[in-house]
Amino acid sequence: MTQVFEPAKPIWCAGCGDFGVQASLQKALSETGTNLNDVVIVAGIGCSGTIQNNIPTYGYHSLHGRTLPSAIGVKLANPKLTVIAAGGDGDGYAIGMGHLIHTFKRNPSILYIIMNNETYGLTKGQYSPTSNPGFEGNVENGMDGILVGLGVPSTTFLARGFAGAPAQLTRLLTDGLTHVQSGKGFAFVEVLSPCVTYNDTYKLWKNITYDVDSDTNFNPRDKIGSYTTVINKREEGKIPIGLIYSADHPSLEQVSVDDQEKGPALQDISLASNMDRYEAVMKTFLG
Amino acid sequence: MESSRTTVDEDICIMVGGQGGDGSLTVTALLAGLFRRRGLNVYSSRNVLSRIKGGHADGVVRASRNNIKCLGDHVKVVVAFDEEAVLATKDDLDPNATIIFDSSAGELDPKLVDNTVKIYNIPFTKLILAEIRRELFKNSASFAVVGRLLGFPDEEMLQSLNSRYGAKAAPILENNIRAFKIGLEWAGKNGLTAADSTSPNTVDVKQKLLMTGNEAVSYGLLVGGVRFFAGYPITPATDVMEYLQKWFPKFGGVVKQAEDELSAINMALGAALAGARSVIATSGPGLSLIHEGMGQAGAAEIPLVIVDTQRAGPSTGLPTKIEQSDLQTLVYGGHGEFPRFVLTPGSVEDCFNIGRLAPNLAEMYQLPVIIAMDLGICQNTVTIESLDLHSGKIDRGKRLTAEDLAKMPVYGRYSFTDDGVSPYTVPSTENGRFLITGNEHNEFGHVNTDKLNRVKMMEKRSIKMKSALKDLPRGTVYGDESSKIGFIGIGSTYGVILEAMGLLAKEGVSSKYYKPLTILPLEDAIGSFLDGCDEVYVVEQNQSGQLSNLITLKFGRHKQLHNILRFDGNLFRPREISQRVLQIREKQSAIVH
Ligand SMILES: Cc1ncc(C[n+]2csc(CCOP(=O)(O)OP(=O)(O)O)c2C)c(N)n1
Ligand code: SF4
Ligand SMILES: [Mg+2]
Repeated sequence: MTQVFEPAKPIWCAGCGDFGVQASLQKALSETGTNLNDVVIVAGIGCSGTIQNNIPTYGYHSLHGRTLPSAIGVKLANPKLTVIAAGGDGDGYAIGMGHLIHTFKRNPSILYIIMNNETYGLTKGQYSPTSNPGFEGNVENGMDGILVGLGVPSTTFLARGFAGAPAQLTRLLTDGLTHVQSGKGFAFVEVLSPCVTYNDTYKLWKNITYDVDSDTNFNPRDKIGSYTTVINKREEGKIPIGLIYSADHPSLEQVSVDDQEKGPALQDISLASNMDRYEAVMKTFLG
Repeated sequence: MESSRTTVDEDICIMVGGQGGDGSLTVTALLAGLFRRRGLNVYSSRNVLSRIKGGHADGVVRASRNNIKCLGDHVKVVVAFDEEAVLATKDDLDPNATIIFDSSAGELDPKLVDNTVKIYNIPFTKLILAEIRRELFKNSASFAVVGRLLGFPDEEMLQSLNSRYGAKAAPILENNIRAFKIGLEWAGKNGLTAADSTSPNTVDVKQKLLMTGNEAVSYGLLVGGVRFFAGYPITPATDVMEYLQKWFPKFGGVVKQAEDELSAINMALGAALAGARSVIATSGPGLSLIHEGMGQAGAAEIPLVIVDTQRAGPSTGLPTKIEQSDLQTLVYGGHGEFPRFVLTPGSVEDCFNIGRLAPNLAEMYQLPVIIAMDLGICQNTVTIESLDLHSGKIDRGKRLTAEDLAKMPVYGRYSFTDDGVSPYTVPSTENGRFLITGNEHNEFGHVNTDKLNRVKMMEKRSIKMKSALKDLPRGTVYGDESSKIGFIGIGSTYGVILEAMGLLAKEGVSSKYYKPLTILPLEDAIGSFLDGCDEVYVVEQNQSGQLSNLITLKFGRHKQLHNILRFDGNLFRPREISQRVLQIREKQSAIVH
């Protein structure tokens, strides 16, 4: 068999939450029986954006903040692929925020894992869009990506996991993969993934996470209910985790790709098989 | 009143102008169609502001038996819906021109133009408001008058109105025809009677294509196998998105309108590495936004075609006006050093050929291929003979199948090779897994900071520029090859230079012209062309002479290099160039003597 790249040993600091994310993702890939030849992981730039090097799938290290547009391009070119986008909170919520909102709006069948450590790990610990006031001189309130997702009408899957709760994280990623592999649209999974070096939040998050999955009164298909729960829990100083919202909406690839069997990447572009249609187009210029 | 019908002897240029929304461009389009059906060559351009209603707007159509490729120097017929339109064309008016003026707000002051100019005052707006109540149909009334003036039979004009509006709602067609008939009546009152249907102007009719550069480049890209486009609307690049959108459904392609150019170029990169031939088109401010992505394509070796439809910058600049002022940033722009090709089509045929070739080059050499257009070539319409669809080929470069891989012990996405080009795979290929990254990497795509590896990788990428020389498009020499007077110019200066050379020849000055098609890597042929010239005129639509600077940097300063530059947002006219050359030559000989 041809020798291809060897998955790398992670470069993360010992104890980094991203180890847990990788482990859960690999379990989810195996639980869904996914053929790794059909998977493309599109990573951002950051500590989190090295995850693709460690897993034997197709991997693309995109530009900082451009993880989602790159993943959308891959998906639209070949809808049969399992496309996973992965990056940090800086990548997704700061420089890439415009794309995130538009990705909710478009609903492409892509699993997006955003590793939130409330800091910029790679550039050595500056505050990020999710940091609390007081962290590294931050004076702004942190934001919540799940609330952003709830605000967009075509959102179909919103979940938050915690690297310190691996069983639930694996289940959420498995559900997310199933969502995208059945063409249901964008699966957004934010993972609370502590940066032990610049912002060690393991203990804090263990105490303040609130698991909606074990709340029998919580219904993730009730949008108003989800909104209310997230807002109320945030006001109580808690962070909700679990499957927070799910809904149905046509996926981007369903409404954009005319040939559902073959995306643009699989089209036969030889001159011979297209000549009749090329000639027909030329005739339109004869006036 | 005496009739003075204007006929197309050799060459005629008509300008229709007024406020945006007056429908001037429709009249020029209708006339272009009529001329073309007579077998004449047509060149037309539009001059509009970046808004739908209001502001001066005009269309110019030139028709000739000759193979014209620019606007020419003199306007022979003007249809003006206001005085501003007359003033806008005053400097280019032929002394024997005819003006058809909308006199609803008063007759045209004859002192505004030479007394040899013939003026028809017809109150189009008033007439149409009184009869139809909707001013917008006045252009069809003016079409009747200008059509009669040019000797087109009424029936032929009616047919073209029918084919333009036939598919629209019935009242639209009816009202246009009513307006047209009012126009005929007033043409008659002014002594312009109906022509008979055997017009003397008809030349040998062979059906020709009428295309803009944007249409030709888009069509070339389609035939070149492009099946993914992402973009964000911007004049004049939006056309490319719209044409592909129209054609793609039959070809399994996808057009995605992105939220901005940052998204657009990254979508295209994603689609490209998934195996689809991908293109983006942008202009002006959008070009500034895509530079990071362009570098990514260079460093990560992702095939991508970029169409830059240059317009007047910087910033929002003159968004609907021509300039060729991105050349420097196309060649040098972006952080770091990476390989790329910059191609410069000059004719509509070039646009098609380069559009078709660029996706091959991108995949064969795995880098960004930039097609540098300009607003003039993008938007102006030219008649051409048919395009040869069969001469091209699709070359996907070193793309590996599962069978190829089965024979290879090792596959690394960035393996070192003699020509710098590594074999590549697309996702879903059995045993073809890759890591693609814009970080410096080793042969397998793992991030790597080793200094020896860095140097080897930089060299691997840059050597591709040399390996590609055999496949890059080369320019053409026009004119008298033995002459020692040479022109160089790209894009829409091509047609103007050719015509200026004709004017110079009439003054006894013979000249030649090199039209380069590849400015990065800059064609060596330019060097030999310079060697064969005693004087060189580099004609450019920018302020600093960007093309001549690129040439000088590579070949040294030619002893007699003169820049002919225009950057007021308007296309050169042939006479302007021929006169500049004559002036410069006069000055030079005064110095010598
Ligand atoms: C356009 C651009 N600006 C800035 C950077 C520098 N940079 C690299 S990673 C990063 C932030 C990383 O934070 P995050 O996305 O949260 O990832 P983490 O390292 O925390 O996993 C920044 C600002 C860059 N690579 N590109
Ligand atoms: S710096 Fe923080 S985020 Fe980066 S690897 Fe170390 S612990 Fe993880
Ligand atoms: Mg972070």
